[in-house]
Amino acid sequence: MNTVILLSASVLAVGVSYYKDQMKTKKSLMMAKGMFLNTAGSIIGILMLIGLMLAIIPPEVIKDLLGNSSLLLSGFYGAVIGAITIIPAFIAFPLASSLFESGANLVGIAAFITTLTMVGIATLPIEIEHFGKKFALVRNGLSFLLALLIALGMVIIL
Amino acid sequence: MIETIKKNKINVITFLAYGIVFFYNKDLFYKGLDNSWGFIREMIEILPAVMIISGLIGVWVPKEMIIKNFGKDSGLKGKLISVFIGSVSAGPIYAAFPFAQTLLTKGASISNIVIIISSWAVMKIPMLIVEVKFLGFPFAASRYFLTLPGIILLGYLVNKFVHKKDELINTESDLDEIIKIEEILPGFNCGVCGYKNCRAYASAIYRKSEEKDLCGPGNAEVIKALKSINS
Repeated sequence: MNTVILLSASVLAVGVSYYKDQMKTKKSLMMAKGMFLNTAGSIIGILMLIGLMLAIIPPEVIKDLLGNSSLLLSGFYGAVIGAITIIPAFIAFPLASSLFESGANLVGIAAFITTLTMVGIATLPIEIEHFGKKFALVRNGLSFLLALLIALGMVIIL
Repeated sequence: MIETIKKNKINVITFLAYGIVFFYNKDLFYKGLDNSWGFIREMIEILPAVMIISGLIGVWVPKEMIIKNFGKDSGLKGKLISVFIGSVSAGPIYAAFPFAQTLLTKGASISNIVIIISSWAVMKIPMLIVEVKFLGFPFAASRYFLTLPGIILLGYLVNKFVHKKDELINTESDLDEIIKIEEILPGFNCGVCGYKNCRAYASAIYRKSEEKDLCGPGNAEVIKALKSINS
């Protein structure tokens, strides 16, 4: 649904822009094409590598790590697994709920979801290309710590 | 040849990994491809629209407006706008990078860029519905409740550690000269000139006297400014 809104918004915006100034619109589309090819070229390999990794590592292993009897450890494992992989949200939540039902810890799941989407070791090279090494490392490092804090906070609240 | 391999390091590794798995276990090979197709489909659905909107912002929105709303003096209002933009967006985090970079080159602050990227990743409104469905309302609500201040704090901290000039990776000699050229370029890293980013093009102009009219987004002024240096 969101995708449809986004697509229609961009088509509409291009239409308005074209009506106002053809040259500017052409220039912006040229930029969009360049940025798309740049990003797509560097992301496809990474996405396929993660796809393969998820095929090789069985979900049971993830489940065992997140269901560790120690709250701290399962939170830590959750954060680490989430940091390495990137999984689209529509896959991540069903996965998280099945992990929870089969005995994984809440801390582990909360940390897992936060780092899953916010920390990306796999996308680090792309982030470095856009913002530089220091920015990428500091942002990912601090986000990792934040994920652990959020997970601990949730244990206290729930 | 070696340079091409180096440039596409990850693609080469992926290709080899799939090759090995193919001979070792065909089931895993196809499962991997199947997983990947889900990711790639998401990318194809989302990325073009995000890039088109970034391009339009780049061309139409004046720098002053970005500085006013997202700059370092935009205050709490700027942070809240950043959270809003991130949370209504669609797509995975790597789609946020080019978008955020466009805002950064137009004068947004590091702190607000971090807020946009983070809320883009982890606080999406459409995602909230899915999260409530699968993990329950208390889980989702407490996660959002803790994440919002966390992200704003994160922006503040990254801003403390990273300064705008650090974004540039200091691996080249004669960096100052190259940065001088790079500052003339629009900074979209769109690749129209044939180089990976504006830095690489600037470096090529400096070292190899590359042609100075290759920049697509750059207007006549940019080309004129480029031609006026070291000549």
